[in-house]
Amino acid sequence: MSDPIAQLIFLIIKAVLVPVIIVMMVAFIIFFERKFAGFFQGRWGPTYLGPWGSFQSFGDIAKLLSKEDLIPVRSDKRVFRLAPYIIFVPAFLVMAVLPFGPVGGEPNLFGYRFDYVIANFDAGLVLFLALGAISVYGVVLAGWSSNSNFSLLGGLRAGAQMISYELAMGFSVVGVMLMAGSMSLVDIVDGQAGNFWDWYFIPQVVGGLIFFVATLAELNRTPFDLAEAEQELVAGYLTEYSGMRWGIFMFAEYVNMVVISGIVSTLYFGGWRAPLEALDFIPGPIWLFIKICAFVFLYMWVRWTIFRYRYNQLMSMGWKVLLPLSIANLVVTAIVVSVT
Amino acid sequence: MGLKDFVKKAAFVDILRGMSVTGTYFVVDKVTFDYPREKLQVYPRFRGAQALLTDPATGDTKCVACMLCATICPSQCISIVGEQTADGRSRPASFDLDLSRCIFCGLCEEVCPEAAIVMTRQYELATFDKSDFQLDKEWLVANAVNAHKELFALPPAPVAGVTPAATTKEER
Repeated sequence: MSDPIAQLIFLIIKAVLVPVIIVMMVAFIIFFERKFAGFFQGRWGPTYLGPWGSFQSFGDIAKLLSKEDLIPVRSDKRVFRLAPYIIFVPAFLVMAVLPFGPVGGEPNLFGYRFDYVIANFDAGLVLFLALGAISVYGVVLAGWSSNSNFSLLGGLRAGAQMISYELAMGFSVVGVMLMAGSMSLVDIVDGQAGNFWDWYFIPQVVGGLIFFVATLAELNRTPFDLAEAEQELVAGYLTEYSGMRWGIFMFAEYVNMVVISGIVSTLYFGGWRAPLEALDFIPGPIWLFIKICAFVFLYMWVRWTIFRYRYNQLMSMGWKVLLPLSIANLVVTAIVVSVT
Repeated sequence: MGLKDFVKKAAFVDILRGMSVTGTYFVVDKVTFDYPREKLQVYPRFRGAQALLTDPATGDTKCVACMLCATICPSQCISIVGEQTADGRSRPASFDLDLSRCIFCGLCEEVCPEAAIVMTRQYELATFDKSDFQLDKEWLVANAVNAHKELFALPPAPVAGVTPAATTKEER
């Protein structure tokens, strides 16, 4: 078997296995979200289905599938049907550029070289930013096509929210690009080789915090879930959705959470690398899994602690605090990198 | 915005303090009762559905059909038909209680001279059938298992030479 054919077979295996693993993770993350929501409030969360209530997500899926699929009469039906997938597909596509182990080098599997990344793409970071921007279109279109006041307000807020955080997010990752000298996530992880004090979260602490806050907004989670805002807008852009169409939105949100946790750990916390070189015998995917779980837990912790920011507070924070700070971070990083 | 506020915001002081509160709740014991699997222990004077206690000496209800509870009941939900036994003692032939009208005030328990009718810790009274609320004597006697534990200590054990009736008279 020649090397290109082996690489093709590996590619197919990876392209099937990675989404399946992440989907299984998401099923349990939805359960843990509800469980931990209870824990953070001194409650128990779900306890009935399965041991410790752990099959709750499957019960939810069965419930959603059995529900009636309602499409409002005066909605833009084609866009209404399309909108969930505009959010769903980009969330999955970002997985392709996320490295979960060493890439390149010696043959390591049956005499062939197995790269622990689906697509070793030179501009992986730009792809992530672009796909993140596309998923906002799904929210805006869902709000528009529903032909409901609450949905439209939710969609408008999502659009306004995006322009407030997207710039700061873009500028904050440029610092990482400069330090690694590359836009490829594989090279960025290679740039963080060594122990945990070689990771970028120490030199890029400001950029990392800005990026983390911006990802909270990107994920549409509290404190920046203005587009959903149950107390004000019923359910925002989700108001007219029901059954599995609504489920796809929720599912995409959690897939996004896993993927973005992976991106945060790749950019600032060494990706699949062990925190100490002595721990390198544990394979990379396990370290990435641990880091993703840690960040998902952090997202949940933030969600169940902090109140929703007001519309104008998010705007003023995005434009007056995050954007100037990220530009200052970029300037300082550029000077330091060019001097040393 | 003063310098103090600026430093506070830049260091995420408020957010970290909030996260420490929720983090504490995450690890402490939960306050939730796992209700259908774990029954709530009611307080000792809880007023649940009534029960008629039986006299361990005779095996019959302690009730003497004096009608005091039926008279004092504010919602008039108790209706009793009395009868005379062969030895001249009066007892209720029927003792009906309409639980859908009962307000659980506990006056029937307080007024009863024989301590025959008591409020219990039975609070799981939801039902799909309205007729389940028409309690009869059999139900009330059977409900005595739910009576508060300390009530069972009250009726004195029969002692030789002292009749139970005399003892209760002295207590009054």
